[in-house]
Amino acid sequence: MRWPGRQDAHAWSQQHLSHYVEGDLSPGARRRLELHAQECPDCSLGIRAVRALLRLLHSSEDRSEARAPAGIFDRVRVDAAQTDTDTERAHEA
Amino acid sequence: MLGQHGSTNAPERELLDRAQMGDVIAFEELVGVHADRLYTVVLRLLGDRGEAEDVLQETLLRAWRGIGRFQARAMIFTWLYRIAVNESNRALERRLRRGTTVQVDEEAVQVPAPAKDGPGNRAEQRELRDALELAIADLDPPYRTALVLRDLEGLSTREAAEIAGVGEAAFKSRLHQARLSVRASLGDAALVAAG
Repeated sequence: MRWPGRQDAHAWSQQHLSHYVEGDLSPGARRRLELHAQECPDCSLGIRAVRALLRLLHSSEDRSEARAPAGIFDRVRVDAAQTDTDTERAHEA
Repeated sequence: MLGQHGSTNAPERELLDRAQMGDVIAFEELVGVHADRLYTVVLRLLGDRGEAEDVLQETLLRAWRGIGRFQARAMIFTWLYRIAVNESNRALERRLRRGTTVQVDEEAVQVPAPAKDGPGNRAEQRELRDALELAIADLDPPYRTALVLRDLEGLSTREAAEIAGVGEAAFKSRLHQARLSVRASLGDAALVAAG
């Protein structure tokens, strides 16, 4: 991943904070983003925000499955019955 | 996760053989064990219970019609998941074409509650969860799919990319973009304060 010119470093870092947290940057890009974030309160905050977002989304609390409603196989049964009828008719013909 | 759901072990293999010969009871038994999980992911993608039920029925119908072509070396749950995601994305595209918006069913989306739950910050946390649900609902289908599969369903990148039908690099790109959009909607300060 190419590292941008100095004036674009902030914009680039902001775009790649999730890549950084996920470990998707090359070692060089990772180091440069860290150096930028040490001097940039917004990017430092951004790194913590990405981590907080992932904690919020990954939390196993309250991650229960919804119960599938009754009747989810209704269309399958109609289709299967139709296939059976068609097969019987084909045999009779 | 998929290993728990998907490996074709002996009873599953027998049910699969029978289903592939047109035994609808065997098909329901084979697929029914995955129904709640499929319904959950469709609900997370669509945010509407009525639409999710319709999409799940269509998913199962497509699976029934395609079961004869299913390769036993693949994992049944991955295959079902992929059909469900494709059907959900079709429903989202139809919704976009109609120009309709859906009121997000908060219980349906089921974004987990933040860890901090003291009485002083419950209102702020509720507000953040609402904003998060809306931000996810606002994502375009490919980005929403990436975020739901990886960050809410907890699948690995490889599994999620396979289900989404794209390569891992393209999937990661969508995932990072989705997180960036959600972050922009919520604001970094609010996220850090909640987390």
